[in-house]
Amino acid sequence: MKYSNPEIPEGINTSTQHPLKEFFLLTGGILGTVLAVVVVLTLLADQLAVYIPFELEMELATRVTDEVPAAESESPQIEIYLNGLADKIAAEQALPPEMQITVHYVDDDLVNAFATLGGHLFMFRGLLETLPHENAVAMVLAHEIAHIKHRHPIRSMGRGIIFGLAIGMVSSTLGNAMTDQVLANTGGLTVLKFNRDQESEADQTALNSLYQLYGHVEGADALFEVLERVSGDDQLQMPEFFSTHPLSENRINNIHSFQTEYSAVENRTTMPLPEGYATWLVSAPKK
Amino acid sequence: MVDLIVFLVLLALGYGFGRYAELKHYKSIIQREEEFRDIPVVTTKFPPLTKPLSDVALVSGSVVISVDYFKRFIAGLRNLIGGRVTAYESLVDRARREAILRMKEEARAFGGHIIFNVKLETSSIHKGRKNGIGAVEVMAYGTVLIKQ
Repeated sequence: MKYSNPEIPEGINTSTQHPLKEFFLLTGGILGTVLAVVVVLTLLADQLAVYIPFELEMELATRVTDEVPAAESESPQIEIYLNGLADKIAAEQALPPEMQITVHYVDDDLVNAFATLGGHLFMFRGLLETLPHENAVAMVLAHEIAHIKHRHPIRSMGRGIIFGLAIGMVSSTLGNAMTDQVLANTGGLTVLKFNRDQESEADQTALNSLYQLYGHVEGADALFEVLERVSGDDQLQMPEFFSTHPLSENRINNIHSFQTEYSAVENRTTMPLPEGYATWLVSAPKK
Repeated sequence: MVDLIVFLVLLALGYGFGRYAELKHYKSIIQREEEFRDIPVVTTKFPPLTKPLSDVALVSGSVVISVDYFKRFIAGLRNLIGGRVTAYESLVDRARREAILRMKEEARAFGGHIIFNVKLETSSIHKGRKNGIGAVEVMAYGTVLIKQ
């Protein structure tokens, strides 16, 4: 046996490919994939928002703690009444069990009400004072609860929030920083604007639940009648409610046609407001 | 933005120095392999019987080579999609050949003419340390037959 020591050919155990080629292929491929995911996420943001778990939405809402008061320790009677009514409406709208509706009463002259992230509804004294009967209050509540049901608040937060939450799955610190940035950029929760389609969708759901609750929809338009009377023809005097709830001819027509559709129902009496309603509004503690 | 610049500078430094060192090292390896070609290295367990009985000795050579930032980055990307980690292949190849060369150098100092029962051990230094740039150690050892 002869022992030799031949020259080892190069490139068997190593690659002869230039390392920069691999570098560009890898970074290009991975960046391209990330970019594609981002594009798909932003394109489908509105559809995907529905799939964000409601718990996550509630957690987002608590991050803006200065705007969402913690659960009331000493709930004034008006909040007890509104929450009770809201629970009844929520049951009619078949809200999933994790969707907890919390109604907050705001002692302010603003004629306004709005729904925001995490199932929080805000009802202003200015609006509640103008409502003539319980059906009108229920209509406002049902409308706002319908916004929650259809996930309008998180959808109106836009693409940024979807993107931030998606990133949060990979890197929680980066994702949280991003969602906080989005929350900060939107200027808080009170300025969430819903579009006209969303308003109509909420109206429709609200009217249905009102019908289920009372057997008729009498008084559903009381809110608009009252508001129109208050504002008169003066555009400058438009109640705040109209700026947060863009009102189109279509919307009112829809409500009216829904009402005429069910006008045959007998016993269309509206429920009076509970006794002491007016005093609850006044005596509620200032916040 | 600052982070990105720091990262790119590290990447460029890693590539520049790493590539320079690797090319230089391969040049030296190929040249010395030629130089030590007269000492065969075999893995048989027993000494070749054709040689006259002679003294034997243990010889070894070991080398530690560090990964550079660029290689580590590429390997990290490779981790995501799988495949040949060519960045590390050349690193380990260099380390093995260098270890054998050092072993041969020792054998020549003994006046050896063949090394048999050669074994290679590879271990990684910094293993499991997060964000630490690792290094590879390769040790070659065998039994040298010494000319009388």
